[in-house]
Amino acid sequence: MTNHIIVVGAGPAGSSAAMGALRAGAKVTIVDRKTNVGIPVQCGEAIGKTGPGVAEIEIPEESIRAPVRGFRIYSPGQVSVDYATKEPSGFIIDRRVFDKELFARATEAGADSLLGARVLDVTRSNGTIDGAVVRYNGQRQTLKAQIVIGADGVNSQIARLTGLRKAYKPDDIDSCFAYEMANCNLEVTDLMEFLLGSEVSPRGYIWIFPKGNGRANVGIGIGGGIETKTAKEYLDHFLKNHDVAKRQLNDAKVIETRVGALPVCGPNKVNVVNGALLVGDAAGQIHPITGGGMGYAMVCGSIAGRVAAESAQKETVTATNLQQYEKEWRKLYGAEFDQSLRLRELILQTEDATLDKLANIVTGESIVQLTAGKKVKIFMKAMSTGDRKLITLMQELRKLRMV
Amino acid sequence: MPPTTSTSGKKRDKKLADVDGELCGVCQACATVCPVNAIEVTESYIKILPEKCTGCGVCVKVCPVGAIVLIDR
Ligand SMILES: Cc1cc2nc3c(=O)[nH]c(=O)nc-3n(C[C@H](O)[C@H](O)[C@H](O)COP(=O)(O)OP(=O)(O)OC[C@H]3O[C@@H](n4cnc5c(N)ncnc54)[C@H](O)[C@@H]3O)c2cc1C
Ligand code: SF4
Ligand code: SF4
Repeated sequence: MTNHIIVVGAGPAGSSAAMGALRAGAKVTIVDRKTNVGIPVQCGEAIGKTGPGVAEIEIPEESIRAPVRGFRIYSPGQVSVDYATKEPSGFIIDRRVFDKELFARATEAGADSLLGARVLDVTRSNGTIDGAVVRYNGQRQTLKAQIVIGADGVNSQIARLTGLRKAYKPDDIDSCFAYEMANCNLEVTDLMEFLLGSEVSPRGYIWIFPKGNGRANVGIGIGGGIETKTAKEYLDHFLKNHDVAKRQLNDAKVIETRVGALPVCGPNKVNVVNGALLVGDAAGQIHPITGGGMGYAMVCGSIAGRVAAESAQKETVTATNLQQYEKEWRKLYGAEFDQSLRLRELILQTEDATLDKLANIVTGESIVQLTAGKKVKIFMKAMSTGDRKLITLMQELRKLRMV
Repeated sequence: MPPTTSTSGKKRDKKLADVDGELCGVCQACATVCPVNAIEVTESYIKILPEKCTGCGVCVKVCPVGAIVLIDR
């Protein structure tokens, strides 16, 4: 099986990995347990145009529903902070079209595909992974390859089978529920709205993303360990009782319901073993604060595909060779993920009232910088409020060199 | 009911996770936190493997729609 790569998963990570490998001259087979790629949608459907590496990724035009210029964040006490660029900086897309189109393009570029094939196991020779066992048409089959790319999402079996990840703890993931809604009366149609607070969405947030034509993606992610209510119950309660919902979604109708799980604990420590590597949600490449993962999955996917193809060509598929992939993607996003994880921990420890005070002094610009892991100038402003808890928060941020 | 014994001879709890297939939207949250990988995920449904499930209940916590409960074995 010279030069042959199996990609497990036909999501954004898998299709991008396939593309990367094809461009570097490999033979690729994409395997997915689904027969309908992109369905069901389990996503907020927001993707940015900017960010390290992202300029090179291709967002299929037919998937774009609405351009967005930034965000509006509501603090727990409804202090709102806006951020908007002049030109659109991202899009709300239709995930089912998006995933399908990326997958179609990979097959058009030469990838073979096996749909309806669920990976059950990996095969090894001399400790190096050299294939995958799938259940296809009711039967077990073994597919051989030089490298297996695990792009099989949040519940990656490749991650578990290679020992690169154990089970998540409940608070390592967000438990998500969302509605696609029609007949919405949004106050801003080119900003993404976020609502924070221990009452509305403990350890997470509620989002309202505009999809154009009065449609919106309205959802919630709460900490997986939260036991007071389910994610669905929190969202339903918000829609019925919260001012922001009443103003905009009073007449809105549900046209689809969605569930999802999102790792928010940062990437896996290691994502390569002899003969296999992980990418996308399987690798935990999700922003620990925003929960965004598509852009990272695509950029890291194309790096993974290229490195895998080059290693396969040289017939050196050891973890040491595949390490090049880790090096390249961590150079782009490693620091951002690390800092965001620390910032996330701090935010989670901060009381609602202090978040309100913080909202009073930050600009949208500084929120963008902070979530990108960059330093901002809000220290003096915070000190001048004289608020003890806000000042303590600033001192903690200073220790992290974030203010 | 006495505790059942698995093939490995380990004593297991008397509880077992049970999913309501009509509520479940196959988000996989439960599967990602299951310490023993007892939840199989297919394209359209999840299956809890009774021979693996220890009845620990972690999966129940994370379900966004409350589709999993613990039942007596
Ligand atoms: C509710 C929610 C909202 C989100 N909102 C956003 C957002 O607004 N913006 C954003 O950028 N990101 C968002 N994300 C994150 C984003 O959805 C993921 O980061 C992204 O889908 C990762 O892509 P992936 O290709 O790694 O995995 P996936 O898209 O999950 O693809 C994995 C594929 O692998 C297949 N597979 C899994 N196991 C097997 C197996 N054993 N055998 C064969 N095939 C298998 C699956 O069928 C699937 O097709 C959100 C996530 C959730 C849950
Ligand atoms: S009860 Fe525990 S062992 Fe059983 S399926 Fe749920 S998480 Fe897994
Ligand atoms: S967590 Fe709930 S909705 Fe998600 S797959 Fe498990 S049972 Fe289904």
